[in-house]
This record gives sequence, structure tokens and C-alpha cells, in this order.
Amino acid sequence: MSATHSLQLRLAEDAAAAMRHGRFAEALPMVERLGRLPDPPAGIAALRAQALFGLERLEGAEAAADLAVAAADAVETRQLRARIRLARGDAAGAADDAAAAVMASPGDRAAKGLLGICLLEASRWDEALFFLGDVATDTDPPSVLQLAHAFARSGRFEAADELLAHCTARWPGLPGLAGIRAQAALFAARAADAEAIARAAIAADGPSPALLALLAHAQVAQGRLAEGSATLAAAARLAPEDGYLAHLAAAAAGEAPDAAAVEYVTRVFDGYAPRFETQILSLGYRVPGLILRAVERLFPDVAAGDARLGSVLDLGCGTGLIGVVLDDLLPPREGRTLIGVDLSRRMLEQAAVKRLYTEFRHAELAAVMAADTASYQLITAADVFCYLGRLDPVLALCRARLAPGGVLLFTLERSPGANGEWRLGRTGRFAHSAEYARSALASAGLEIVLWQEESLRLEGPDLVEGWLIGARAATAH
Amino acid sequence: MPDGALGPPSRFRAGLDRLIEGRPEQAVPLLEAALADAEDAPWAGLNLALAYVQLGRIAPALPLLEAAAVALPDHAEVRFHLATVLGLRNETDRAAECYSAALERNPDHLLSLAGLAAIEESAGRHGTAAALVARARRLAPEEPELDIMGGRLALAAGDAATAAADAERALDRRPGHVRAASLLAEALRTRLGADAAAAEIAARAGAEPLRADWPLVAASLDGRAGRLSERVGELRVAVALLPESTDVLAELGKALWEGDQRPEAEAVLRRAIAVRPGDIDLRNWLATLLWRMQRPSEMLTWLDSATADFGAAPTLEVNRALALNALGEQDAAVAAADAAAAMQQTGASALIARMQVLAYHPEQGHAAALLAAGRAIAERLGPPPPRPERDRDPDRRLRVALLSGSFGAHPVGWLTVAGFEALATDPGFELYGYALRPRRDGVNSRFRAVCRHWREAAALSDAAVAGAILEDGCDILIDLGGYGDSGRPYALQRRPAPVVVKWVGSQFATMGLDCIDWMLTDRWETPPGAERFYTERLLRLPDGYVCFSPPPYAPPVAPTPVLARGHVTFGCFNNLAKITPQVLALWARILATLPDARLELRTQTLSEAGTRERVVARCVAAGLPMDRIVLHPGCRHPQLLGAYGDIDIALDPFPYAGGLTVCEALWMGVPVVAMEGDSFSGRHAVSHLSNVGLPDWIATDAETYHDLAVARARDVPALAALRDGLRAQVAASPLCDAPRFGRNLAAALRHAWGAYCRET
Repeated sequence: MSATHSLQLRLAEDAAAAMRHGRFAEALPMVERLGRLPDPPAGIAALRAQALFGLERLEGAEAAADLAVAAADAVETRQLRARIRLARGDAAGAADDAAAAVMASPGDRAAKGLLGICLLEASRWDEALFFLGDVATDTDPPSVLQLAHAFARSGRFEAADELLAHCTARWPGLPGLAGIRAQAALFAARAADAEAIARAAIAADGPSPALLALLAHAQVAQGRLAEGSATLAAAARLAPEDGYLAHLAAAAAGEAPDAAAVEYVTRVFDGYAPRFETQILSLGYRVPGLILRAVERLFPDVAAGDARLGSVLDLGCGTGLIGVVLDDLLPPREGRTLIGVDLSRRMLEQAAVKRLYTEFRHAELAAVMAADTASYQLITAADVFCYLGRLDPVLALCRARLAPGGVLLFTLERSPGANGEWRLGRTGRFAHSAEYARSALASAGLEIVLWQEESLRLEGPDLVEGWLIGARAATAH
Repeated sequence: MPDGALGPPSRFRAGLDRLIEGRPEQAVPLLEAALADAEDAPWAGLNLALAYVQLGRIAPALPLLEAAAVALPDHAEVRFHLATVLGLRNETDRAAECYSAALERNPDHLLSLAGLAAIEESAGRHGTAAALVARARRLAPEEPELDIMGGRLALAAGDAATAAADAERALDRRPGHVRAASLLAEALRTRLGADAAAAEIAARAGAEPLRADWPLVAASLDGRAGRLSERVGELRVAVALLPESTDVLAELGKALWEGDQRPEAEAVLRRAIAVRPGDIDLRNWLATLLWRMQRPSEMLTWLDSATADFGAAPTLEVNRALALNALGEQDAAVAAADAAAAMQQTGASALIARMQVLAYHPEQGHAAALLAAGRAIAERLGPPPPRPERDRDPDRRLRVALLSGSFGAHPVGWLTVAGFEALATDPGFELYGYALRPRRDGVNSRFRAVCRHWREAAALSDAAVAGAILEDGCDILIDLGGYGDSGRPYALQRRPAPVVVKWVGSQFATMGLDCIDWMLTDRWETPPGAERFYTERLLRLPDGYVCFSPPPYAPPVAPTPVLARGHVTFGCFNNLAKITPQVLALWARILATLPDARLELRTQTLSEAGTRERVVARCVAAGLPMDRIVLHPGCRHPQLLGAYGDIDIALDPFPYAGGLTVCEALWMGVPVVAMEGDSFSGRHAVSHLSNVGLPDWIATDAETYHDLAVARARDVPALAALRDGLRAQVAASPLCDAPRFGRNLAAALRHAWGAYCRET
């Protein structure tokens, strides 16, 4: 055995041992060194992906996993990448990898379980339940808990309750059980139960960000906003790196960061995507209709059927409701430009199903517009700018992307207080003052062509009041 | 030196050959025999001494070298060796004399120049040291050790670039040199800042992947930045690249120690010590590791062997004091601490160790003696700086810093966290946590959830910890570490907040320091008149001074076991440091009065065989009937609580009473017979028992303690009835009433703040 070879063996063994004990920070220097030695061993990319994944450096982990899969398309590397993609919120990609692993090793229970989890996250309920049901067995309590979780997530509350009662009776101390029970109770609109379960778990094991967030949701759902706010603050302190919790806590406390954290928007909408349409329509969501009306008013030739709408950029397209209402005004599919932008991959997946859009961009909207060079006849931002505080930068970007005569159509929620430019409400959205909106438009070089007071939707028993605003690039006088 | 050409090889010659071959253990018997025959003296004596030194046996080497120096009056080398041995034994002045004497005989004696320079450097005479090093480097321009010394002095003089260049030269010549790597790390950090230094080293490691020096430097940078895991990883790389280097291996051992990978740390340190028996530092590291692993008996064995080899040194004596104390041998512990304090002329670590062990001493552990010990530390530390100035508005929202290494499942956690949770609901306060030791458990999460700002401060120096608290603008600092293992008295001494309050966490007496303003207490801990034993002002809470969180995993209270067994079982789950000979003797009397009664002791250190043997011997000496005594090894916390199901009555030790142990026994339905003392630690049990409504379980002297234990043991129906309702009684008492405690704590802190606001 050559000296280098034995050195490699030793480092690989030491690194693997450290990772087995969860000491990824210790393993990484050894893995990095292995990669730099002459003739690095074949499995080095997978080791690196594993270490980075353990350190929650997900982007680097996925890149390393890509290399690992390219080098050797093994079951283990596929599963590793599936887990990494899952953690990054790419459920569809994760499901692809997990499925490949199952096909390569059909008898592998763990592979099927992982696939089930990926499908669950991808909201492919029936397939998820098939695989998770296939592997669930009492000899492996977490597999049963996972199945119960899947039932709850997919709205099959009775089945979830039955299975969770079984778990509680047989394995009362099962890790994660309380969290899933509380979540299932929340899904089933039993907030008081969720609160009791979360409280008992916190008393037994100490607080965790997940349990505190569940408790906070339960408190808010019961109308106890102040308590929920304090609980969210505690959750955010326990997970200072979690942008979602930080935003929720800030929103609940009435503090206003400049823009809703990217992570917040992603998480909220990824979580809601499958039920978003039914939920938001049932909430009296009027914005898509209002947009259609406004487009008809601002482009009379299009409304009259004498012309077709030109290229459209739909910011924050969500599940594609704007595409639905504009479909008749656009050219036929092959001749149109309708680009949907959203931070939530799951939202985009829902929108894609409609086959109305010509392109999707999965990114933050300012980034998309900054990188874009095309111009658009219509830019829509329905219920999008309520996730931003200061509007000046985004309005300037929109103006730069408007074609001559092009229109920007967007909604804003009205800030109840007259003073200030905007405030962050308890739902995590921003409300703006009219004065601020007007001055932001003016300073971005946009002139108002439409300003309608509107009730945008119902939130609980309350109407959310706001404006539908249309603007064009200001012309020199 | 005589040559052995005449006749057959002599034993001296054979011994010398073994020594030259690097087999000192084989040389020793040959040279000892040669010396006994006065063969080739004084050379036999000199070389035997060198063999001893190589084997780490410094003590027997010393007289041999002294004799050789007399016999060889013109010989520089002998004086050099003598100086080295004296240096190892911490006899610095004599060592310097011997180096000078060697240089008088041979002005170019390189190693004497270096040795003397090292002494000058550690005495802070950097100019003299630099001149000596410069002389030495002219004689031996290729010597890496001299590069390191020169570099270190350059860095001290503010010339980081020269220091880095010197360190690199040393590494070029001697790959894997740990101190050179450490010097390079420090020089680069000074010159470039921590992040750029790390990037620079990563780039070099990329370019030279087979060179061990870069991971060594990276490890050093990691250590300075508190990245303990990364440090271990880099050192594993260095060991893999340079497997033959004991230096690097020893460094890994220390890193594993610090990263809390204890079993592997022990194995690696033992391997390193086997190769380098003469390294006092390594033995001390192993001893402190054994301390962490609750093996005081073995720790003591190592310290004794080190003391035998190297002579007494303050660090060794301090650690001996701690080991002896943990074994419950308080007399010997205080003697060792006294010896350490007598040796240590600067710094307060020996005095602090003395204070730590003094509280346990059966005769000297009283309030007045502890006050004197605390004042001795204060004198050594000197006056603290003035208080930082803050807005003296008595009613404004206050920022309260919590400083501790024990934010977790630890007595500090169980006795304070519920109180802080309640305090945090008061809009008049916001909590800032400074954690001096990384911990992750359910109790730690509770602390982090209530602290608006949290800082992991384990890697920070005392100055940096104090600086962070000061910069964060904290108004009140609550210390939860005291003189304990992870306490930071030197940080407190910098007075980072205008009001400093001592609370739980080695809160066994006054700290004696001028920088501590208040001690959080109650009327039972410090009854009226106790003020004279405290330099702090007493901030008495209306109920008890702590708020107990019963562990959620505590099992239900079991029936008192005497009902099924027919005999009473006493128990004491306190650590052995509290079990004095007087305590054992009193327990022996109780068991003599109650011929059926049993006694069970249970604590972590009883898991160690050597410790058990020592404890058995002490029990026998105290007259305890060993057939009625059970010594249980340690166990995990839920099992420890469950073990109270086997105990009818807990017997509390003295003069250092049980604290959390009393609360836990009560929660498990086990009443506690306790003795009242006069120190803070002597009154913990008084506070807790009074707070839950059991003041009639407190004895005032040995006689009443005996009578109380006997009377309670004989009244089984009363015992059973008390046990049935005890948990409910404790739960309903102020000891567990967090909202009430939080209001009282808020009022007390507001009072302390008001005093600062009124002060001119």
C-alpha cells in the first residue's frame, strides 16, 4: 500500500467516524484534505456532500451531491441528494432522486420511506401514502408516525388521529410525536388541543423552535395574539438563523423589517400551495377579477377583441390565477409571452399544471427584474408588494421593464394608521400609506393611471382594504 | 570523559552506549550499578541523571547533578543540565544562576543562552531576552527553536511580520513544530485579522496538501476562535500527515479534551505521555481530564507521580487540592491549596482553589474564614475599575446580563431558570445571556428562549467577555459562576456593568471581591447579623433565594421503603467533598443507636474503584458498620431521582450542605435531616427546608442532628404520612412558585438598581 493510499484510508476512516457521531465540523477538514490529495478517492464528493449537509450548508452540499451522482449513480448518493434537495425545499427534485433509488433497489424499505417523504413534501398525497403505508410497521415506530403525519398533511384527519392515538399509546416518548400531534390538531382546526399537546411537550423536553411555533399558531388561532407574539419571539430566539420565524416574530410584535424575509415567503407559500386556491378563493379573494377589469379598461382595443395583449410579466404569480383571468386576452399559447415569477417552487408547480404560462422563474422578483432585459406591455403584481416594506427599489425596477405605453398593475394593503410609510401587520404582511405609495411611484418615475379603493379579501371576519393601482412610465411634459 | 578502550566494556560504558542509542530505561540499571561502585564517577552520576531526565524522573536527577557540579567545577554542560532540571521544578532563580554559571565557563554555550533567555522572557524582561536570543542565533543560525523564541519576542514587541517570518523559517526546518505553528497563527491573526489569516492558511494548505504544518496552523486559528470541532479535524489531518510526531499527537489529545471527546482524549494523552514522560504539561492535562471524568483517585495518582518527578509546582498542588477535596479528604485538600498559595506569588488561581476547597473543611469552612479567603483574593486582584456610567433612571427598562457556564441541566439551571422565565415576562427587564460553556439540552433551550440576546462566550477571554457585556450596555450583571470551574472572576473584576449581583453557581460564601455589589439571598441563608461575613450587600428575597424547576422526568413518589422492609434506610446523594470525617462519625452514631438502619451513598465519583476503596477506608475509620452501608456508583439523573424510592430519610452533610440535592430529595418525597451552619453553603438546606415548611427537620448541632434522625426514623407512620403529601407540599410552596419568585426577583433587582441611581 502506498503512503498516499494509507493516508487516504486513514483520513476517510476518521472522517466517517466523526460523521457517524454527528461531528460534521470535525469531519470537514479531513474531507477537504482528502479532496486535495493526489488521486482523490472515488467517494470523496459524496463524503463532502454528507459533511456539508450535516453542517446545513445546503447549497454546497447539493453541488457536491451533483458531482457524486455524476461520478457514481449509486443508491446511497441518490438518497443523499434527495435528502439535501428536500432540505432545500426542492421536493420534486428530491422525489426524482428518491424514485431512482427505489428503482435501483426495489426491496429497500428505507429507500421507499424516503420516497414517501419526498412525495409528501411534493404534495403528491396518494403516492406518498402508498409508499409510506407500504413501509409503516410497528417494529419501526418512526415509520408509523411518518404515515400519520402524511394523513394529517393530506387532510385525512380521522386516519391521522387514529394512527396518532396508536403511537401515543404504544410509544409515548417517541421523538417528534408531540409535534406531529400538535400539527395534526392545528390542521384539523382544533387549536386548543394543539396548544395542550405543545405545552405538555415543552414541559417534558424543553422548548424547541418547532414546538414553540406550533404553540404560537395555536394561540393565534384562538385569538390570543399577544401570547402568540411572545411565543414566536421565544421561538425566533432559539433559532436565530431561521428567517421565517424571525419574520413571523417581527410581524407579530409589530416591528417592520424592510422586506419580508425571502424564507418567510417561501415557507408560507410552500406550506399553503396545495390549498392556496381553494383557501384564497373561499376567503373572498377578488384581486384576479379586479386585474382583469383594469386591463380591459386600460387596453380598450384588447377588450374589444381588436388586439391581443403583448408580453406579460406576472410577479408573484402563485398558482397562476392571473394567467387564468388573462388567458382570453392573450395570443394563443404558442405566440404569447406570459412569464410567472415566484419564490415558492410548489406554487410554480401548481401554476405549471394550468399550462397557461410560457416560462417560470423561481427566484426573488427583484433579482429576476434586475437580470431581465426584455420589456413588457403589462407587469402584474397581485398581492405581492404586501410582502415588501419600502417600495422604491421594486418600482424603479418595474419601470425599467415596461415597454412604451406599458402598464404596471399592483395591489397594496392600506395602512390603518395615517402616519408612517408602512407597517408590518400581524399576518406578516405590510400595509402602506397612500401618501407613501404616491411619493414612491413619483420618485420611481411612474405616473398613476388607475387608483381604486378596493376590499381585497376577507381575513377572518374582516375585509382587508386596499387599492388597485395602475401606473405608466411618466412622460416628459 | 574516559574512554573504555582498556579491558572489557565497563558497566558505565555499556550504560552510556544505551543512553546514546536512546534507551534510557536500559541505561539506568547499568549506570546505577556503576555509580554504586563509584566507577567512573562523576560521569556515571551525570549520565544517570540525564537518563532519569529522559524518563521524566526529575527528582532523583537533581542530587546527582548537584554532586556532578561540585565534582566538575569547570564544566559548563553540567551546570546547563542542572539549570534545566531546576527550571522543570519551577526553581527559576536557581535555574537562572546555573545558566549564568554555565555561560561564565563557556560564553558560547548555546542551550544556556536559550534557557536563560526563556527565563528572562517569562519574567517580562523582553529586552534582555532578545539580546540573549540574538547572541544564540549568531552561533546557531539554523536552529528553529531560536527562531521561535526570536519570533515570539518580535510579536511581543509588535512586529508581527518578523514573527511570522521567524515562525515560517522554523516550520521549514522542523515540520510539525507545534509551537512554531501556533506562533505563525498568532502572528498572522495579528497582521491580517482572524478571517484573512484562516483564508491565507487554507490557500497554502491547498497548494501543499501533504504538508502537516498548514493544518496545524489552521487548528491553532480554530482554537483561538473557539471552533473546537474544526480544530480536532485539522489536528487529525496533521496526525495523519505526520504520524510519527508526538508533539502533534499531544496537541490532538488536548484538542480532544477541550472538545469533550473524553475517552479518546485519555487514550491519546496516555500515548503521548508514554513517548514523552518528561512533559509535565501533558501529565497535568491528563490529570485535569480525569477530574472532568470524575476519577479523582486516579487523578491524584498521576499528580503524585508528577510531583515526585518534577517536584512541587503550584499547578500540580492546585489540582491535588481539587482531587483530594473531591475524595472528601478536606484536611489534605486545604493543605495542598495552602502549599500552592504559598508557592504562587503572582496571580490568584491558587488562592481561588483554596477558597473553593476551604468551604468543605469541617473546622475551617466557616463564614469568617471564607470571608478572609475571599479578601485575600481581592487583595491579589487589586481594586476594580470604576463602574460604567448608565442612565440613572430608576424606573426604566433594565438590561440584565446573565453570566454562566451552567445554562443547562445543572444545579444552576434547575434552581434559576424558572425564575428567569418569570422575570422575562416583566416588561421592565430584558435578559442577555453569556454562555461560558456550550451546552444543549432542554433546560438550555429554556434559557435561550427567554434571553433576548444570546452569546456563546466560551472561547472569549476574560477581557472579551467583560467587553461584550459592557458594549451591550447591560445595566445589571448576575453572576452564576463564582469561583467554580467555569466561573470568570477575572471578567467580573473588570466590572462590565454598573450593578453586579452574585447568585447561584458556586454561591457558597461571600466572594470577597470589591467588584460584586450584591448577593441575592434570603433571611434563612443570611439571617440578620450575617452582614459581617459578606463584602456584598445582602439582597434578601422575601421567600427562598432560589426557584426550583422539578425535572419533568422525575418518577412518581414511591412509598416509604421502611413499610415493606421493616428497617429505615438513610441516604445521602451528595458529592464526596461534603462528606467530612465528622459527618461520617455522626452517621456512625445514628446507625449505632438504630441497629437495623441502613445508609446508602450515591454519587458519580463512587463509580471509580480507587475512590470507593478510599471511602470504604474512611467509613471504617469512622466506625460505620460496613454491612449496613451501600456505596452506589453514579447514574443518570432520572435514575438518581428514582433511587430516592429506596430511601426513607436523607441525611444532609455539613458544613457544606446540600443545595439542589435537598430540593430533589424533597420532590421525591424524602425528607432531609440537616445541620445549620454559619456560612452560605452551610445554610442551603436551612433555606430550602424552611421555604417548603419543614423547619423542624433542621438540627443545630451534632447532638440534635442525631436525636432528630433517630426520632424521625422511629416514627414510621409520621414518615409515611409526610411522604404521601410532600411533593404536593413542595409544589405549592414558594420554592416552586415561579410567578411569585419572578415578582420578588424583579423587585430585588429594581431595589439594587435604585441604589445605583441614588448613589452620587
